[in-house]
Amino acid sequence: MITVRVPSPLRSYTAGAAQVSASGRTLAELLGNLDRHHPGMRFRMIDEQERIRPHIRIFINQREVQALTEGLGASDEVHLICALSGG
Amino acid sequence: MSLSDSERERYSRHLLLPEIGAAGQEKLKRARVLVIGAGGLGSPSSLYLAAAGIGTLGILDHDHVDLSNLQRQLLFTTADVGAGKALIAQARLRALNPDITVIAHELELRGGNALEILRPYDLVLDGSDRLATRYLVNDACVLLGKPLVSAAIHRFEGQAMTYVPGRGPCYRCLFPQSAEGLVPNCAEAGVLGVLPGVLGALQATEAIKLVLGLGEALVGRLLTYDALAMQWREFRFARREDCAVCGTQPTILDLPQEPAADSSGPAPGRAARLKPQQLRTLLEGPGPAIAAMAIVDVREPREFSAGHLPGALNISLADLSERLGEIPAHAFVVFVCRSGNRSRAACELAARAGRAGLADLEGGMLAWAAMIDPAMTVAPFG
Repeated sequence: MITVRVPSPLRSYTAGAAQVSASGRTLAELLGNLDRHHPGMRFRMIDEQERIRPHIRIFINQREVQALTEGLGASDEVHLICALSGG
Repeated sequence: MSLSDSERERYSRHLLLPEIGAAGQEKLKRARVLVIGAGGLGSPSSLYLAAAGIGTLGILDHDHVDLSNLQRQLLFTTADVGAGKALIAQARLRALNPDITVIAHELELRGGNALEILRPYDLVLDGSDRLATRYLVNDACVLLGKPLVSAAIHRFEGQAMTYVPGRGPCYRCLFPQSAEGLVPNCAEAGVLGVLPGVLGALQATEAIKLVLGLGEALVGRLLTYDALAMQWREFRFARREDCAVCGTQPTILDLPQEPAADSSGPAPGRAARLKPQQLRTLLEGPGPAIAAMAIVDVREPREFSAGHLPGALNISLADLSERLGEIPAHAFVVFVCRSGNRSRAACELAARAGRAGLADLEGGMLAWAAMIDPAMTVAPFG
């Protein structure tokens, strides 16, 4: 299982959890599985054209990824980063 | 620009540091720094910059001090409630350090005034509370070639990054487009009072380092802070060749002339803002008037379930573009949300889709609960 770090604006989908686990050989699979356990979460990150929304960034470990086809290993940690507006 | 005897005493702990010394302190004295937003972030950053001896310090805010600000905005006291933030901040910073010049900009930053306001400064700190303003400040800094230290907060989480012209990516390289309404601010989501203290102090640190040319700036690095886990993380990101403002073929060559509030899209000129009392009058009107009106609550279903206006249709802002067709075509549409940000974004989205007869509830359900119906439950966002 892959550890997924959830930013606070998306934690309403994970019952407040800052970290969840999900499986997937690619980022697309992982996000699909995440959405099955946390319905609606994927749409907050991925638009209708299957692109990462412009206020969301996804990092695998410390490396930024742009494509949902990106492969994942069991020891990877996926960080979901959301633009924050508060000041 | 030499230091006076009293300045030598005031800044003696800086002067002891070989990395700063008298030459560095004189650099700080010559520096001109603008702090955007006298809020949670702007309070600590401006206090530290004033204390550090930044010679010219600008503070920009068009808002007034609210009692709910005092949990985190240390520039203000209870006696300041109701007063203009920029002027109170100016007085507070002058009292802290009478040797520096403090300029109060008591206005809203807009596309039409941003370049003129930012131009005289060497460096900008963004502590604003709206995404649209963040993009405006970023774009202005890129166009003017000014370094920008940006930070933002949400509940228990913060993030910071620094842009230095020619040395790395800008805010738009990280988050290419505004998502106003999808990203809650402090008024909507709440915030741990001490959190902006941490991030604002970090911004001041970056600013001082940049002025002095010391250390390594947060360029191309997004620093995130989770106060609950007490964890800092760093994520490297690169300049985007296709960045709309700093890329190789930029499409943003000037700032939009409409207010910052509208910089994420066309101005919702056709949309009215209804005060809670005005909406109540409409709701209490004759049957045909109500029948011709659609209340659309753009909050998340969980928030909607906790409490909503009678007869309201729930379409979350994230789903609105897909579900706009569910709203009766000729209805007068009143969008509502928690505090008035998402409903504003909904008006813009509907206006862009060609809808007319649009309005939203100013202050959202929080204002409705405060002024009309104290029994209304308003769930937190996020």
